[in-house]
Amino acid sequence: MTTTPTRTFKQKLILGLSKLYPMAKRALYRFHGGVFPRYNKELSLSHPLITDFIPKTLVLPLQQHVGVITEPLVTLGDLVLKNQLLANTEKGLAAPIHAPTSGKIVAIEERTLPHASGLSGLSIILESDQKDQAIENSLDVDGSIPEMPDKLKALIHRAGIVGMGGAGFPTFAKIPSQKGQIKYLLINGAECEPFITCDDVLMQTRANDIVQGALIVAQSLGIEHILCGIEDNKGKAIKAMQKAAKDTNVQIKVVVTAYPMGGQTQLTQELTGIELPAHTHAIDVGVLMMNVATFAAIYQAVIHGNPLTSRYVTVSGLGLNHPFNIDARLGSSFKELALLAEPKTPLTYPLIKGGPMMGIEMQSNDVPIIKTTNCILATPPEPMEEPMPCIRCGECMDACPINLLPQQLYWHSRSHEFDKVEELKVFDCIECGCCSFVCPSHIPLVQYYRFAKSEIKHIKQEEATAELAKKRHEFRQERLEREKKEREDRIRAKKEAVKQKAAQKASAETTETEKPKANAAAAAAARAAKARAAKNGKETPPAEPKLSARDRAIAAAKKRTDAASKPTESNTTTPTKKQKDKPKDPKAAAMAAAKKRAAKAAKEKHSTQADATASTETDATDTTDTMKDKRAAAVEAARQKAAEKKRAKQSEQPENDSLETPSVATKPSDETTATPNKASDAKRKAAMAAAKARAKKQQSKTTEEKT
Amino acid sequence: MATIPHTSPFTHNASSVRKVMLQVQIAAFPALMTHIYFFGFGITIQWTLAVLTLIIVETALLKLRNRPVAPYIFDLSGLITVTGIVFCIPPESPWWVIVSGVTFALIFGKHLYGGLGYNPFNPAMLGYAFLLISFPAELTQWTLPSEVSGHHISFIESFHLIFTGQSLNLSFDQLTGATPLDEVKTALAMGVPVTTTLNSTNFNGEQIPYGWAWINVAFFIGGLWMLYKRAIRWQYPVGFLGSLALIAYVFHWIDPDTYAPASFHLLTGGIMLAAFFIITDPVTSSTTPLGRFIYAAGIAVLVYVIRNWGAFPDGIAFGILIMNMFVPLIDQYTQPRVVGYRR
Ligand code: SF4
Ligand code: SF4
Repeated sequence: MTTTPTRTFKQKLILGLSKLYPMAKRALYRFHGGVFPRYNKELSLSHPLITDFIPKTLVLPLQQHVGVITEPLVTLGDLVLKNQLLANTEKGLAAPIHAPTSGKIVAIEERTLPHASGLSGLSIILESDQKDQAIENSLDVDGSIPEMPDKLKALIHRAGIVGMGGAGFPTFAKIPSQKGQIKYLLINGAECEPFITCDDVLMQTRANDIVQGALIVAQSLGIEHILCGIEDNKGKAIKAMQKAAKDTNVQIKVVVTAYPMGGQTQLTQELTGIELPAHTHAIDVGVLMMNVATFAAIYQAVIHGNPLTSRYVTVSGLGLNHPFNIDARLGSSFKELALLAEPKTPLTYPLIKGGPMMGIEMQSNDVPIIKTTNCILATPPEPMEEPMPCIRCGECMDACPINLLPQQLYWHSRSHEFDKVEELKVFDCIECGCCSFVCPSHIPLVQYYRFAKSEIKHIKQEEATAELAKKRHEFRQERLEREKKEREDRIRAKKEAVKQKAAQKASAETTETEKPKANAAAAAAARAAKARAAKNGKETPPAEPKLSARDRAIAAAKKRTDAASKPTESNTTTPTKKQKDKPKDPKAAAMAAAKKRAAKAAKEKHSTQADATASTETDATDTTDTMKDKRAAAVEAARQKAAEKKRAKQSEQPENDSLETPSVATKPSDETTATPNKASDAKRKAAMAAAKARAKKQQSKTTEEKT
Repeated sequence: MATIPHTSPFTHNASSVRKVMLQVQIAAFPALMTHIYFFGFGITIQWTLAVLTLIIVETALLKLRNRPVAPYIFDLSGLITVTGIVFCIPPESPWWVIVSGVTFALIFGKHLYGGLGYNPFNPAMLGYAFLLISFPAELTQWTLPSEVSGHHISFIESFHLIFTGQSLNLSFDQLTGATPLDEVKTALAMGVPVTTTLNSTNFNGEQIPYGWAWINVAFFIGGLWMLYKRAIRWQYPVGFLGSLALIAYVFHWIDPDTYAPASFHLLTGGIMLAAFFIITDPVTSSTTPLGRFIYAAGIAVLVYVIRNWGAFPDGIAFGILIMNMFVPLIDQYTQPRVVGYRR
């Protein structure tokens, strides 16, 4: 997009007009709808950035990203230095976790996560010694720019960088492995949420890091165009960025202040004119967008070898006397930071993670800042207007940046007509909140969509389960019949053989004896084939995506084995019963593996790889340290949970990974599933996956037999 | 009144149904003034009657339906409904006309369907249509503008007329007469060309009826203000007035003797009232932008058809009610393109 003079004239005209008619501003940008909330950004901007605050205790959840949970590489009582690797995993999509300051590991235990449902997760608790001794260049870089995407990806992975705009998708996984696949590298500095100013301050103070970070990515990926979008209410940031971008090919684009300008779809359209097609990844159309903070983190990792251990966080809200921005160590407590900002009234109300438009109310205020936390909002709850019936005024529709029909979505969600809701593309809703914001009837529209989304997912799962059960039943019927037939065949063959013998004895005719024997031989061959199949199943795990956890593969293999060998077992073993015994073995194996890893980790703290195989069970048994044992078990339990969670999430991931964006563009689909019944969902899903695997195996086996 | 949202967004632009309705009510003020100027104080008496009826009926129905009374009465949507009816009926019609009309509108047009937001038919127009069918005689006897009758009705006279049906000094017939629309239609039926009728004493030099034109202008001004305030959507008036003007213009151009000019159509009857106050009722109209336009244009066509070839003098009520029935269909076929999808 080039800012031609005519456009600026038009802009001026519209801006003039918007003084009379505020909504005229909607003509200033390319995406549909949008709203103009009260920004209140001056609150946190009026106080200086805090850089030297080191809390006494830091809580570092082992999972701060989309993907699988990491495993701790430290043990209780360990003294660690800043930037030291604390947790990592090779089991799948993940981002390692480093120490934000120096201190002592005082616990590794479950802590409440900054999550809508208030669920808890395994966390490393670090007690700081306030010395802040750091390992310089802990990523061991030489300061040169990686020439190949793969090298860059590996480094970004090691630095533990995730999308810092909100979604928390590990950044390395977002970057394509091929050079030249991306045409536009977009720097998201829009920051459209009210109250939040952390990106603004970051651009003011570390513009060079951001620009250089973008240049690193561009060089490594061979990207030509680098565009940075900043909303026009951040004058200082724009100046700083323009200065930093001077003599580079980074173009600073000033965009209109409108919510949700920072959404991935919206900003992409604004900057490039490309409308991201639904159900496609942005990189498939040659667009890679990252948040300013992510670029700064990449710069720090590539040039200085510093992993991601702190981030800028806005602590603001109408309930605070002294709102500020802080270069917060990861793991700092929400409550502690909010108290630092001098709350006007005691913090008896829940804090909000994120901004007022898309933020999430915390179940507990004592949750840690993680890599994706951009804002802590303390706004005392105000009495809200009672929702009235929808008057179909259409305000919501005019405000929707996706051009959905929020009113009709609401109508059908309310009456539980989920097929219609889906037809109306509820899954394209980014939950930006514009519709609720403008609704004169004060209907919590977005809440209805979240509900509808989770219901639809639920229904689909149930349908799939039912379908599976049906298939399983059919297979079983088929197998029973086949076995019956085989048995009958055998009996008949025996009988015939007996008869034949008798006949042989009686007469000397031998010609007829060949046939039944052939029958029996065929049955034997089939049995042999079955056994072979069973073995094969064990030896060749399926080609699954690399993020699949090992225990899952083991479990799958085990199931396959079971499934394959089942036909030869007694008919009375029902599938459900079998399933119950199953998890034991892989769990034990995985547990042992974890133990082994823990032992190894304790020995060499710096090792990033703790790859253990299932065959090391015997090694692991000599680890007798009970403490370690306990911890390993806990780790295992957590990991199992995570694996389940991940499985549950897997179906959503394709959607998610294009979404590092801004506070806004996160399709918060993972949030929607975070209902209390999530665990049971995940379990069901896991069971489903297992059953599917089994069914598939059987199917292939039967076809094999038939041929 | 204290429900706190537990999910985002935690902020709101502070609009409310009441504010929107209040804006609509305020926007009707210029028209009310003009109405009083030309037709006397009858309308204020009618309006008071209507509001009293509204309060009684709404309270009773809300109680019957076990709903909280206060929030639903003070959302002011009922007020808009009765105001719509009041402007439609002759200012000196007997008191039971407005009372029965409002009662019918609220019961059958609103509460039987579940109250605000759930009614498929425009309640004001349903009430008005009920009156048109039940009391055709009373509804066609419109007070003549003072320019025509030469007499400005006083408040006391209006009061008398409405409650007793008798006038103090002048006969009822001297004060009331057919509306210009009726006049044109009746004349046409007797073979008098439209142009002749329009040049008669009831119309000013521009062939536009006295009184009516100014009321329509007043509605238009109020409507513009509502557009500015975003209380209504532009698609309604533009679609409605545009289509009506276009059709009227084409027919007038084809045969000026049979078909009145566009200016006449736009400025007589309740056209502006309908364009800005009645068809803009969001509850009973289409919700998609294109749908709103089609809805408005459809009403315009029906109004023109009924005006020229139908049995009723003005077709607004029936035009709107008929289009109300098509709303679900229109909605279904006019869904906008969702971002990221090709058509
Ligand atoms: S903004 Fe609210 S009242 Fe208006 S149409 Fe949308 S949901 Fe209905
Ligand atoms: S929350 Fe969803 S439906 Fe509402 S405005 Fe945003 S994208 Fe549209």
